Formats: sequence, structure tokens, C-alpha cells
Amino acid sequence: MKFSSAKLAAIAFLASALVGTPAFAAKPKAKPVPLPPPPAQQQVADDPLEPLNRAIFEFNDLLDKLLLKPVATIYSTILPTPVQDGVSNVFGNLDDVYTGVNNILQGKPERAGKDFGRVLVNTTLGIGGIFDVGSRIGLEKSEEDFGQTFGVWGVSPGPYIVLPVLGPSTARDAVGRGVRIVSDPRMYLPPAWEWSLLGVNVVSLRARSLRTEGLLEQASFDRYGFVRSSYLMRREALVRDALEPGSQSPGR
Amino acid sequence: MTNAISAAVVRLALALALCAAALPAFAQSAPEQLVRKLAAEVTESVRKSPAGTADAARYNEIVTRSLVPRFDFDRITQIAMGRNWAKADAGQKRRIVDEFSRLLVRTYSNALSTLNEATVEVKGTRSNGSDSDVTVRTQMVGGRSPVAIDYNLYAAGGGWKVYDVTVEGVSLVSAYRDEFTQLVANGGVDGLIAALQRKNGR
Repeated sequence: MKFSSAKLAAIAFLASALVGTPAFAAKPKAKPVPLPPPPAQQQVADDPLEPLNRAIFEFNDLLDKLLLKPVATIYSTILPTPVQDGVSNVFGNLDDVYTGVNNILQGKPERAGKDFGRVLVNTTLGIGGIFDVGSRIGLEKSEEDFGQTFGVWGVSPGPYIVLPVLGPSTARDAVGRGVRIVSDPRMYLPPAWEWSLLGVNVVSLRARSLRTEGLLEQASFDRYGFVRSSYLMRREALVRDALEPGSQSPGR
Repeated sequence: MTNAISAAVVRLALALALCAAALPAFAQSAPEQLVRKLAAEVTESVRKSPAGTADAARYNEIVTRSLVPRFDFDRITQIAMGRNWAKADAGQKRRIVDEFSRLLVRTYSNALSTLNEATVEVKGTRSNGSDSDVTVRTQMVGGRSPVAIDYNLYAAGGGWKVYDVTVEGVSLVSAYRDEFTQLVANGGVDGLIAALQRKNGR
């Protein structure tokens, strides 16, 4: 338990590092099309903890540079892609259990059925989750966590918080992560197992963002601010999507 | 001879009139078709490049040819600038649009170069409160996990134009709006222009 926040923290940190991969293009034109822009809120994200957040952001960056990134680079260099996919699918299988639980908590039993169906199919036919058979038979992966569930229940995000190791969060999402951590079965394994599994999970997640991380650097002026607005927007969209009946949350 | 020509002209005029009449009927699906076409063109070009040879310049060319004409860059910049747009004079506006477009083309080209085989599925269209402002929802598949990409389009004089792209719930224009607001607050409109130029390595 005492180790756990640092451990699962890394997972969330990596997941959030993936946020913000811009896709775009455009070109100046000779004659402008003067259309009134839609109402645009001018306020930059409210961030009362900004000085502290920035310091932790820097720390996380340093940790990534010195430890995580080098390890993830080696991992992705020596392991063939199918093996890497298998590893990330096994961890994804556990995540699907949580997605199912959260879909139930959000009052979406049919989505939860799909999630648990995935777990069943992937654990059996997919040999312990190594192969994502579910996606091939119409049981698409979705992503629901406790932070989203609290959002669906009407809890507002609260201030933006950068967690050490874990990365971008909000007061609400941090509590959600805490719930996930204390309920994770890996927590109750012998420490050696627990740490090994967590380490591999973190490295595997980090390896997946190796190819896209440069984009954020290239696209943003203030990386901290760009990550913040991307994180807040994405979380809001995930909660909103969960509230719209019939719409499916964006898959990851 | 003259008769034949005038007959042809009449027929052409008639055909055009019919087309115009038919337009409103299919206008609804037009943005979806545009996005489908755009996505097909880009993925096709990416696929055609022999493995490993597709470099930044090549992607830049694909983006410039296929995407740029369908994006309303003035509008994108205007929305990203928000209230600060009014603070810029005509010359500054032109420079901001120019630099911002360079940055976005480069970013998008770089994003493309991280994909190998991807296909885009159009998931549907949602109206943003009017018939001339819609969101086309797509999903890019082929990577390890599908990526949700939504295109916001509005009906411009000559067809539909994209004015925002939302990747996994993150609106590009909104993300830059926060950045621009900060940059203008720190160094004024000229500070923003200088930052854009620096970013573009100029």
C-alpha cells in the first residue's frame, strides 16, 4: 500500500503523456472568410496550484529522462512488436475489468456486459489476455475509470494537480486513482511480484508513447500549459461522452 | 453550327440548374464525404510511399496538397486568438495566420510520419446547432488502439471547410487558444508573433 501510489502513479503519468497529439493543417489564404468565431471562453485554465504543479512537472520530466525513457527504449528495441502487444494486452485485460465495474457504476450495464465479455473471451481464447480476441469479434475496448464515474455522478474536477510520478490529474481524478490503487489485486501480491508486474506495466506503457512524444515538444509553446489544457479537455470529453446515451467513449 | 453551339449551351445551363437544385438535398452528407475523401487521400499517399522513404518533406507535401485546401486557416487562427484577434492590426493578423499555418502543417506532417498503416472510419455526423456547422466523427484504426478524431466543418461559400480538429476529445484550436492567450498576456501581439516565428525556426 505504501509503495503503491508511486507505482500505479507511473501508469497514469504515462497514459496522460499520450494526450495531446495534434493533427492539423492549414494555409494562409489571400482573401479571408470573415465569419464570426464561435463564442470562445477566453479564460486560461484555472490552476491555483500552478507553481507547485510546474515544479512537479519538471521533476517528472527529469525522472522520465533519466530512468523511464531509457528503459522503455531498450524494451521496445529488444522485444519484437507482437511480444510488446501481448504484454500490453495482458495489462489491458485487467483494465477492462475496471472499465466494466465503472460502466456498472455509471449505469451502463450493456457496456459493462461488453467489457466483461471481453475479459472472458480474452482470458480464455486470448490465453490469459495475451491476444485481444474481443476486438476482433465486435467487443471493442473502451476506457472508463473511477474519476470518470465521479464525473458522471456530478462531481466537479476541482483544481488541476500534477502528481509526482503519476502526472496530470485533478482533485477528483486523483481520488479516483486512489480507489483504483487500493482495489488493484496486484497490491496484494508478494512485494517482489507486485513490483515486477508494475515495472513491466509502466515500461510497456511508456514504450507505446516513444514515437509520438516529440510531437508535443514540437507543437507546443509551453508544454506544461499544453498538457494541462489537453488533459482537462480530454477528461471533460470522456465524462461528457459517458453522459450522452448511445455515444461511445473514444477508444484508446 | 451556331445552332449546335447554342443548343449545347442551353443543355449545359440546364444541367447546371439541375445540379444547383439537387444541392440542398445532398448537402447534409457533403461534409462526411469531404472528410472521407480527405482521409482516403492522405492514407493512400502515406501507403504509397515506399517503406522508410517517406520523410518529413514528403509528408509535408501530402498535407499541403490534400488537407490545406480544405482547412479555413483564417477562421482557425481567429478562434485560437479569441478576443485578442481584435488587438492585432491587418499586418499582424496576416503574419499570425501565416506562421500558425506553418506550425500546424509541420505538426500534422510529423503526426502522419508516426503512422504506418492506418485507415479512417467515418462514424457519423452531428449537427452543431445548424445545418451549416457540423462535426464529422471518425476513428483512425490500424495502430495499437483506435484514435477518435472529430472534424468540425462549416459551410463556406465554395463548399465545406474544416475549422477545428479534435483528437481524443482534445480540440486543437482550444489547446492553442490557451497558449496564445498566455503569450499575448506576456508579450502582446508582437510577442505572440515572435514566439510563432521562433517555433518555426525563422
